[in-house]
Amino acid sequence: MSNVILFNLTTVLFGVASALYLGALYAKNEKIARFGTWTCMFAAAVSTAALGLRWYESYQMGIGRIPVTNLYESLVFFAWAVNLFYLVIERKYASRSFGAFVMPIAFFTMLFAIKNDSTIQPLVPALQSYWLHAHVITCFVGYAAFAVSAGVAAMYLLKARQEEAKISQGVVGLLPPCKTLDDLVYRAIIWGFPFLTAGIITGAAWANYAWGTYWSWDPKETWSLIVWLVYAAFLHARITRGWHGKRAAILSIVGFLATIMCYLGVNLVLSGLHSYGGG
Amino acid sequence: MVDDKQAPSPMDRVWNFFTSVKLAIITLIVLATASIIGTIVEQNLPVEKYHQIYEDWAFALMDKLSLFDMYHSWWFLLLLVLFTVNLACCTIDRLPRVLKVVRNPRTRLDEGLEKSLSLADRWKKKGTVDEWATRYADALSSVFAKPRITRGPEESEEVHLYAEKGVISRFGVYVTHLSIIIIFVGAIVGNVAGFKGYVNIPEGGEITKVPVRGGSRMQDLGFALRCNSFRLETYPSGQPKAYVSDLSVINDGHEVLRKTIVVNDPLRYKGIWFYQSSYGEAGGTTALVAVTRPDGAPVRMLSLAPGEPVRIAGYGAIRGVDYSGDYEGKGPALKVVVEKPGKPETGFWIFSTPGADAARKDSLVFTFGGLNAKMFTGLQVAMDPGVNIVWLGCALMVLGIIIAFFMSHQRVWLKIARGKDGRVEVVLAGSASRNRLAFEKKFERIQTGVKAVEP
Repeated sequence: MSNVILFNLTTVLFGVASALYLGALYAKNEKIARFGTWTCMFAAAVSTAALGLRWYESYQMGIGRIPVTNLYESLVFFAWAVNLFYLVIERKYASRSFGAFVMPIAFFTMLFAIKNDSTIQPLVPALQSYWLHAHVITCFVGYAAFAVSAGVAAMYLLKARQEEAKISQGVVGLLPPCKTLDDLVYRAIIWGFPFLTAGIITGAAWANYAWGTYWSWDPKETWSLIVWLVYAAFLHARITRGWHGKRAAILSIVGFLATIMCYLGVNLVLSGLHSYGGG
Repeated sequence: MVDDKQAPSPMDRVWNFFTSVKLAIITLIVLATASIIGTIVEQNLPVEKYHQIYEDWAFALMDKLSLFDMYHSWWFLLLLVLFTVNLACCTIDRLPRVLKVVRNPRTRLDEGLEKSLSLADRWKKKGTVDEWATRYADALSSVFAKPRITRGPEESEEVHLYAEKGVISRFGVYVTHLSIIIIFVGAIVGNVAGFKGYVNIPEGGEITKVPVRGGSRMQDLGFALRCNSFRLETYPSGQPKAYVSDLSVINDGHEVLRKTIVVNDPLRYKGIWFYQSSYGEAGGTTALVAVTRPDGAPVRMLSLAPGEPVRIAGYGAIRGVDYSGDYEGKGPALKVVVEKPGKPETGFWIFSTPGADAARKDSLVFTFGGLNAKMFTGLQVAMDPGVNIVWLGCALMVLGIIIAFFMSHQRVWLKIARGKDGRVEVVLAGSASRNRLAFEKKFERIQTGVKAVEP
């Protein structure tokens, strides 16, 4: 199917972009990073086209549904969102050094995705609902924001160690100042948090419409709540107790690990009602 | 000797404990960690299963800690109560202060305030204080917001302008916190005043009571629910496509509502919802009969169990009594008996040829649709009067979070005073509660707008 070819191309482009950003950092060459940006933009166009095509192809097969309903599709959608988030940040903060830390997340997600079954399968009855759209999109935009936050948090930890040692040369010297990174860790989370909240709520609304119970402590639900609680703790610590810098960065990474557990771990390790993973 | 700073009274200490954000952060982390346990230990399995998985001593310990139904255990509920009390106390403690600041803002840019603001600009003008105050008030209205005007201490010639925007952002956090309490209230209402249950209905069968989940109680519905038919639709690949139940609500012997439900499209009557949840073979066979008007307009599908009459509103009752694989060479056929009010019973054969039965010249035409294994449909049944309260809380939560994080309380002060050298001294200062970088740019625009004012 042609959408899969485009997604394979997207994977290659994400890999090239990651390599260019890393190369630019090591070679201290802004020009190389500029090629990275062009690659990301091209990848954004290709992956958007691929999602659209996959949607269209599902209609041609007589199945007709949004392409966010199994592990392959959700991973691809997640990588798509991370790439877009990254481009917005690169533009807003006028620094290409984020790319070396964020784009590999998109790249490895795609590598993981293409190992999974990429055929378009019809929807089981439980997933045939308009809530599916709102639920999956809000959740994955939230996840993507948390991924960006964790990537920047890793940058912060590197940079802070260097600033402590008062070294300003080397690869890390090219990273934006700690203050900017710290701000971005927080800013990505305040974007992710309302989306995650909306994702949990649309999930609850859907569950109520499908089974008559909006909350049943199923492992997936519970893990989404755990992620929500961790970021709620982050926001309270940050706003009212002044948790900046290192502690905030570590908490952001912990939050993202919980997110990965919620997204993949629950399906691979635990049992539940969600359709991706072992199935 | 009396100490100036008295040690806080026990009451104060309790209050300080419950109003601290530290407690909130710890509770959030403890709740998150505790929730993990319940996802690792599978919840609400039959006891024998747990005995298979765990050693006896581990089972005894976990049972004591209620780990098998952890989310409803006393200690987990206690954590939720602590969380709620903390939330409520924080609000009671802080909201009045915020209200006070919002109602009585610092409208005068005194020296202390001026020093605390990082965004500030000073310049001098010729003329009178009052003239410039009027001009700047107009300018501030057009570039930012209409200012309040305060005149300085009696003797001094001083005017203060104060303008603000986005004061609502101060309340975002309280809206969010209130929303959590509303959600909990909704959940409690649902648990106390509602019920959840599950019921199987065979095709052609009727129920009036539903066994309630987690108890031996039967909930009376106050009406009857009939399953007319159930069918499983599959994709060409054989994967399930839809589970379809044709249901009727019967009140005082009349069909008052009829709906074909599938997963994600439930039936609702008098606040009680019925959700497609399961199915299976009920044993025995049923005969499918399509009912149409003489002009071919469909009325309904019947699923007849042997010998059991089904009522058709405004017509009478019909029951299947015999079946033949090939009746008089005209193919498979079903013998039915129709009973109309005040008339003798009539029996006749119906066939699978559409319209063949029209020869009877009756008000309804029957077509035989074949025999089926008799199925049952499994329905989740729920009545939850608290659910709309929960949705209200959810909406407020999203709204509160957006207000709290994406709006900012922006304040601008202008002080116009007669300087020692006789000229008019002007101080412009501003602050924002959130997103200061964006406000710096806005402040620059305000600066330019105000400074551009000429007599």
